[in-house]
Amino acid sequence: MTMLLSEQETSATPTRRTGIIDCDVHPGPKSVVEIKAHMPMPFRDRWNGGGRGFFGNPVHGARLDANPPGGGGAGSDPDFLRTQLIDAYDMAYAILLPRAFCNLHPDPDFGTAIAAAFNDWLAETWLGKYNADGVFKGSITVAHQDPQAAAREIERWAGHPHFIQVMTDSGARAPFGQRQYHPIYEACAKHNLPFAIHPGTDGMGINVQPSPGFPTHYIEWHTCLSLAFQAHLVSLLTEGVFEKFPNFRVVLTEGGTAWIPGLMWRLDAEWKALRTEVPWVKRPPSAYLRDHVRFTTQPLERPEDDKHFLQMLEMMDGENLLMFSSDYPHWDFDSPAHAFPKLPEALHHRIFESNARAWYGL
Amino acid sequence: MSATMTKHVVGSTAEIGPGQRKIVEVNGISIGVFNVNGAYYALRNRCPHQGAPLCQGSLKGTALPSLPGEYLWAREGEILRCPWHGWEFDVTTGRSVCSPQKVRVRSYEVTIDPREDAVVETFPVTIQAGNVVLHLPA
Repeated sequence: MTMLLSEQETSATPTRRTGIIDCDVHPGPKSVVEIKAHMPMPFRDRWNGGGRGFFGNPVHGARLDANPPGGGGAGSDPDFLRTQLIDAYDMAYAILLPRAFCNLHPDPDFGTAIAAAFNDWLAETWLGKYNADGVFKGSITVAHQDPQAAAREIERWAGHPHFIQVMTDSGARAPFGQRQYHPIYEACAKHNLPFAIHPGTDGMGINVQPSPGFPTHYIEWHTCLSLAFQAHLVSLLTEGVFEKFPNFRVVLTEGGTAWIPGLMWRLDAEWKALRTEVPWVKRPPSAYLRDHVRFTTQPLERPEDDKHFLQMLEMMDGENLLMFSSDYPHWDFDSPAHAFPKLPEALHHRIFESNARAWYGL
Repeated sequence: MSATMTKHVVGSTAEIGPGQRKIVEVNGISIGVFNVNGAYYALRNRCPHQGAPLCQGSLKGTALPSLPGEYLWAREGEILRCPWHGWEFDVTTGRSVCSPQKVRVRSYEVTIDPREDAVVETFPVTIQAGNVVLHLPA
């Protein structure tokens, strides 16, 4: 009983924090033991960490200066993360997306067990004992290869004060609009939790590579991560997911933004001719974005000429659709101080804070 | 060497051996001093791209421009790679590999002076084989 009371006390964030909201931050366990502790047998013995297997960054995967002085991998020390990210850039909230890589496994029960263990771990640590100031908000990891189990996992955490979205990898066996995934979206919509798609496990394990075959190099694979996001977005829009679940919302995290205008022009044009094929799409597809989709900014595609960047923002409705993200501590970190050209103050405030505040109800 | 330069002893040659570096702060500026096969170079510890602590990066070689499918690994120990985004810099010139004309980091002159006494009291060093002296604009 005492435990319960103290948990309730710490779960209520006392003050509303102000400052930048970083929508893509990656915490990790200090060791695999932290995750295994939350995993039942027989999976505990079977899982020993492991990332996505190949297409590793040939240079370095995480910022070299992000290794905590006290040891552990980049993103494993909350105090050091506070120093290097939260305090350095005056952040209100960091939205945490752990990298479980659970989506590549052929065995759905194994994938689901990995997802659940990461959720238990995140709740206990970063959203629990590390979170006295309430700066950390988390994502419920789900294994989308078993949508029914994923929906149950969402139910398990719904109502938690610091889990504010559901997340999964962009690597998949089918475009995300298809109906086998709808149980996940039904659970998200029921609990008003946005569904975040983050790059990872594309072309790995059971997942399709979203390019014509496997590219040779990391530079190709990494550049073309945007392809999966474009395919998933077109699928979500044309399958009528947002008509079926009117308050379902999606966050495209780290999938790029510069392609939004061109893809939406193309899709809207096709819809004028082909809408009878998908008659449940009642409005031009791009009209659904404002109500249902947000994009995080990193890795920011930045033209040589800043004037072109501002034009791009206008074309993609960046004022409404973009939410800042740094991807800390990964190698392609976007610094809040340097990644963007100078923006008008009101626009800066929207992208760096108020869009995410409204979207997540922070 | 003009009269407008100031000298700062940053360490001894024994302390900064081949392949090693020392990051020092002089007049509020963080600077990395590198020993590349016995020759010393100094670069500002700030990447011109997004402000990362450049001199904390890896010091390796690089794959020279080559024909498709051909690898020409060279310049071992002379290429400093930014610890964030991985941009490469020639530690001997401060110029980037990707865009040497436009992207470069400030470099400073370094000399070895076996007779040099500790010029700057804030950098007490043990004088052994010789002092590594950094030259900065006054």
